[in-house]
Amino acid sequence: MNKKKKKLILLVVIVGMTVAASIAAFMFFKPHRDVQSARTDLVISANELVNEYLSSADQANEKYLDEAGLSKILEVNGLVHSITEDYNNQMVVLIKSPGADAGVSCTFTIETNASAEALKVGQLVRIKGVIRSGAAYDEDLGLFEHVILDKSDVIK
Amino acid sequence: MAFTKIEDKYVSQKSHIKFHSSTPLEDIEANNYKAVSTVDASTGNVVFSVPMQSFEFEKALMQEHFNGKNFLSTKKNPKAKLIGKITNLGEVDFTKDGTYNGSFSGEMTIKGETQPITADGKITVKEGAFSLESTFDLTLTDYGIAFKKGKPSTNVAKTIEVTLIAEYAKQ
Repeated sequence: MNKKKKKLILLVVIVGMTVAASIAAFMFFKPHRDVQSARTDLVISANELVNEYLSSADQANEKYLDEAGLSKILEVNGLVHSITEDYNNQMVVLIKSPGADAGVSCTFTIETNASAEALKVGQLVRIKGVIRSGAAYDEDLGLFEHVILDKSDVIK
Repeated sequence: MAFTKIEDKYVSQKSHIKFHSSTPLEDIEANNYKAVSTVDASTGNVVFSVPMQSFEFEKALMQEHFNGKNFLSTKKNPKAKLIGKITNLGEVDFTKDGTYNGSFSGEMTIKGETQPITADGKITVKEGAFSLESTFDLTLTDYGIAFKKGKPSTNVAKTIEVTLIAEYAKQ
């Protein structure tokens, strides 16, 4: 093997390793999906979404949940039932109709909290967020569980 | 037959569950603020329902792996569940302000696998409401979570520490 060929192989190896390391670093430090700037997959009313889950949780999970947790981004319409705060100082807005068994519990972020604080109970609202789990009647809890939306913000 | 008076049932919609995995190579932490829980003060029954996709990791890739088929398979098993009883109910007075040490014994279901679990916790009663705090360990292989090779096998601890706090009010 001549000197030129050896140099070329060495160069290819170095370039290859650099590319591999960059890809690894890129994946390792990959930022979280920005839910609010991502495209909405579906606009739906809170009642419709809850009813889909109550009639067939398996079908709804198949439709809305993603294997890697990158589940569907929804815009949910409905009435504000309550506005509370969680242990992470994030606002939580429950969208639920009077008389409905369950609603949609939307957790905001430090960046979007202000738009939740501006809401009033009883107000009609549209909230965008990523779905984490569905509504269900849980026999052990003896309660209806709400649909869960995270990374939420109000759509004006 | 057990009859539960509605005024004995406490509900928590505000909680924080954290897990911590520690190896010499890496510390990994995830947080979840969406669990729902009930405590029945007359029977000592405790239930937690935990939406698994609400666990948040610092690194996006780690969160995707956590949800994926080889780890928690959260699309197929969206919720984990803890069911059991406070075993020293006689030592906890839910009607009197104060801090009580509680012992818990029950079952945990993760990824469709159910295992017995015991834990100690602290119950702080204040003005008719209370908070519950507890720390316990989980062994991942008990729930069919095992890594044979690659980074997870060296960087994810075999036993992880779970810390939880929940705030309850009467239903």
